[in-house]
Amino acid sequence: MNRILKMFSFAVLTGLFFGGCYPGGADYTSDRDVVYTTYNDEYDFKAYNTYAMPDQIVTDVHMTNGGDTIYEYMKPIYADPILDKIAENMTNYGWTRVDVSENPDMLLTPAGISTTTYFYSYWYDWWYGGWWGGWGWYYPPYYTVSSITTGSLIMVFANPNLDTPINRSPTEWIGIGNGILTNSGNVGRALDAIDQAYEQSPYLKIN
Amino acid sequence: MKKILYISALIFAFSYAPLSAQTNTTFSYAMGFGMGDLGDFISKTSFRGATLDFRKMARPDVGFGFSLGWNTFYEEKAYDTYHDGNASLSGRQYRYSNHVPMLISADYYFNPGEKVSPFIGLGTGVTYTRRNTDMSIYTIEQDAWNFTLQPEIGVQFNSSLSSATTIMLKYYHGFAAGELEAAQSYLSLNIGFVFRSL
Repeated sequence: MNRILKMFSFAVLTGLFFGGCYPGGADYTSDRDVVYTTYNDEYDFKAYNTYAMPDQIVTDVHMTNGGDTIYEYMKPIYADPILDKIAENMTNYGWTRVDVSENPDMLLTPAGISTTTYFYSYWYDWWYGGWWGGWGWYYPPYYTVSSITTGSLIMVFANPNLDTPINRSPTEWIGIGNGILTNSGNVGRALDAIDQAYEQSPYLKIN
Repeated sequence: MKKILYISALIFAFSYAPLSAQTNTTFSYAMGFGMGDLGDFISKTSFRGATLDFRKMARPDVGFGFSLGWNTFYEEKAYDTYHDGNASLSGRQYRYSNHVPMLISADYYFNPGEKVSPFIGLGTGVTYTRRNTDMSIYTIEQDAWNFTLQPEIGVQFNSSLSSATTIMLKYYHGFAAGELEAAQSYLSLNIGFVFRSL
């Protein structure tokens, strides 16, 4: 009897050990949404007030055998509300959107990551080399590129007029919604993430 | 030096074995209540835990042996924004803290052989602690081997010469070590079965 009781209690406790070892965790994909922002704390955002932003969002980059670079863009049905939401938040913080030809103080370049391969190297060249016509920007030393995942929305805010020996403008602010573009059929999570990115970045407010 | 102390204590504990052949083996379910830094990190009670206690009886009222345990604390935090320098991160946090104490222990029984036998005890050794803070697909993992003191009180309800049920209150105090800069302590309420062999 004693042996049976011992085995029984051992079995119950073993079940508790292995059955409940790793509790809880995220129930829904949206539970894993995170919004990350960081900025150059020596940069005086209040010294500027205009910005330009493209009207498309690049999502992928391909290299052809001939050496050409081909970009893919987010469908307007998804990109337009995202761009509108960014513009709305910028306006609320006192920024004036101007055309890229009007010598803006800042450039805001959004992107949606469909794959992390090659993306980081070519995406900004498109915006800067093609759209803006100048040199590119570089990631700030206080940000780790490797933490971006597929399905992320990235917003980069840089001053294209700052000259550097390497012809690259430092990123003054970066906002990332990790994995928020993976939801099928709508961009609701992305819009929430944009609002959150601005809410937790009050230093962008110039009015 | 610590290792020598542990080994000496173990030898001391088991050198009593020839004096009495009786052993007490206790399997118990353990509920944990985080205190101090652990309680600040996770305020929820841990319902995932178990302990194995083994004692050789040096005398009818004194037992020496070891205690192995495990408790997992878990809490899901509401959506919030966390700041670190010039970076801000918003999202849900999932917090885990696993504790595996490995101790040598001694108990004193006030009424050995009686129906109800209260006891007090003390354990010392190390606790492996692993703390995870999960956000999105990322985790921050910190671990430590905490030198541990563990006083306990309890009562055994003897149903026969060979078995009993028991209720115990153990206080684990793991001193600051490793990647965890504060002491890790918790209170454990244990309910279990005691098996004796002669």
